[in-house]
Amino acid sequence: MQKSTSTEQVESQQQLEQLRTLILGEDHQLITHTVKQQARGVVSDVLTEALHDREKKDGSINKVIQPLVENAVEHSVNHHSDRLISSLYPLMGSLIRKSVAAFLADFMEKTNQLLENSLTIKGLKWRFSAWRAGVSFSQYIASQTFVYRVEHVFLIHHETGLLLNSVSLDNHDNSNADIISSMLSAINDFIGDSFSQSPEGMKQQLQTVTTDNFTLLLKPGPNAIIVAAVTGNPPQKVSEHLQITIEALHTLYANELIQFDGDNSTFDNADSLLRDCLLAEEKNIHPKSKKTPWFAWVAVIAILAFIAFRISVWHSLEQLKLQLSELEQQPGIIIQKINIINNDSVEINILRDPDAITVDNWLASKDLHFSQLILNERFYLSLDQKLLIIKAEKVVSQFPNVTSQWKNKVLTLSGTITPTAFKQLSSQLSRVGIVNNKNLDLTPLNIEISSNSNNSEQLNQKVFNGLIGKISTIQLNFPISSEEITPEMHNSLNQLYQQFIFLNQLADRLNVNIGLVIMGSSDNSGNIETNNLLSLKRAENTASALHALGLPKEKMFPTGLGQIDIKEVKNTSRKVMFNVIYVSK
Amino acid sequence: MIQKKICLLGASSVGKTSLVKQFVEGIFNEKYLTTIGVKVDKKLVEVNDQSVQLMLWDIEGNDQYNVFQERYLRGAAGYIIVVDHTRSSSLLEGIDIHTLARQVTSAPAILVINKSDLPKQWHWQDYELEQYKDILIINFQQVLKQVSK
Repeated sequence: MQKSTSTEQVESQQQLEQLRTLILGEDHQLITHTVKQQARGVVSDVLTEALHDREKKDGSINKVIQPLVENAVEHSVNHHSDRLISSLYPLMGSLIRKSVAAFLADFMEKTNQLLENSLTIKGLKWRFSAWRAGVSFSQYIASQTFVYRVEHVFLIHHETGLLLNSVSLDNHDNSNADIISSMLSAINDFIGDSFSQSPEGMKQQLQTVTTDNFTLLLKPGPNAIIVAAVTGNPPQKVSEHLQITIEALHTLYANELIQFDGDNSTFDNADSLLRDCLLAEEKNIHPKSKKTPWFAWVAVIAILAFIAFRISVWHSLEQLKLQLSELEQQPGIIIQKINIINNDSVEINILRDPDAITVDNWLASKDLHFSQLILNERFYLSLDQKLLIIKAEKVVSQFPNVTSQWKNKVLTLSGTITPTAFKQLSSQLSRVGIVNNKNLDLTPLNIEISSNSNNSEQLNQKVFNGLIGKISTIQLNFPISSEEITPEMHNSLNQLYQQFIFLNQLADRLNVNIGLVIMGSSDNSGNIETNNLLSLKRAENTASALHALGLPKEKMFPTGLGQIDIKEVKNTSRKVMFNVIYVSK
Repeated sequence: MIQKKICLLGASSVGKTSLVKQFVEGIFNEKYLTTIGVKVDKKLVEVNDQSVQLMLWDIEGNDQYNVFQERYLRGAAGYIIVVDHTRSSSLLEGIDIHTLARQVTSAPAILVINKSDLPKQWHWQDYELEQYKDILIINFQQVLKQVSK
């Protein structure tokens, strides 16, 4: 088919030559020679104007000259670089400066854009969308930033489907471009053959192929097809531009296209025309009228207010706890737990001495008020010195003839008191923790015994007998093979000591001498010797304890009874017993 | 760069796609997938110190249900008819395809007999092949002669 076309051309040229010979006859050679001689002058006269007119008419001069100039410059650079450099030298400095400035501006702009796109919410959103759509981020940005953008342009030979030339936006060499060309031609052929011909008798041609990411625009010419791969929505003007380009290519490469034999290097110069088709239009991004995000602001303010409120509540609770914990500094109060609910109700678990300040009074004194106060109070006996003073004062105030004075944490009582009152006084004091010879000094206290009547003597005798009886009821119980005086025994001994002192005073009045017999005993386990020794040891230890309380040794007679062989008691008779011996003076 | 369009024609399942795969990628896959329409591959070869890129058009196989479509032959620099020597009918079908192809192109064609690793199962006599002599171009005849030997 190609062969026949070239044959036709040769034939037509021969026919034209024959026609010239027929018309011009013998003068043919002469005329041709003369025309050739004149040609230079004729062409040079109109060359500039002709070029100007043609360029103005269809702009084809530029396209023809461009590859020539490029080649000339390339040649010049390769072979006459010195000349080129000296010509360009004066321009170089300012060119480089401009270029650097432009580069910096571009770099800043790009960095800025990159930061904007990468770090903003919009950027992250785009990244997510790109990931979801399965396209690269840059591709997605392009789709968002451009209304459309021509990414690739292919020039395909119609007959063979071979790729003549291709350009891409990022100068990326698409190694599959030739396969794409062939497949597109195949599809185009398939469409052309499969569907009915148009009314004009032309085969159907594929015009557009649309995929998820791009649109292929095809503009078929008689010998070549131009194909543009476009992202976004290409407007009509892209099609029009492609149409103009394919027409221009057909004009420029008419012969080359007809005679194409597979060598596409002939079409290298079509680059510039194809590159003109890489059109793009940026999206006109109107800055959105910035709506104030009221809901978001309200939400943010509400959250901040809530946080501030919680902090202030927490702070005031801490303050309150700090204030309440001062309660513990009060004598006779131990705080176990403070629980503050909603800033105005409080639950306190405390241990309080009955003589200590009440919580209500303390709160009132501190000017603290709560809508609800849950007080879980349990009493205990405090031996705090401050409370002992209050307690002692309370007790002593009941006895008008007794005065009290604290000195080195020891309460000294003075004045005169009846034996009954003395008994009450010492019992009450010991109940609050003020014990004779520990923190109580009774020496200056004068126990007054009325001796002016028989009645009183009889009464004294009665009291005397009663006391002897009381003393003989006191027994100390020891654990097995132990002779230690325990704190419990101390209580009994303290009681016994006070009774014996009082008994001694009564004995003086009744003219009687008294002594305390302290009898230790043991159970029947172990041998008799050991038991004798153990019982004596128990008695002696008891005597020592009483002596420590203030009882003179000469008033006591400790003795060991050993085992007490009475059937019912002999197994458990680990005791110390007391008896008062009295004789008239 | 010089590019040439080469088409592979033949009855269905003679191994056109496998041939291309073997030629381009150097691998053979036992899986059989029928080609639909056309599949294009490329292979760069050196001819007389010149690189030539072959665009290999692997065209779907033809059988009684799928008649030969000459559309894909347009502009081909040559074509290869593939037959399978385990099936006598594939040669007859190949010759039919060649006859049809000759109506639209005069490009050189060669015959390839595929599956030579399997035992030959056709029994052609020389005189039987003679009757096809006139319709075949030189290359084709030569190959045929070799086959009949």
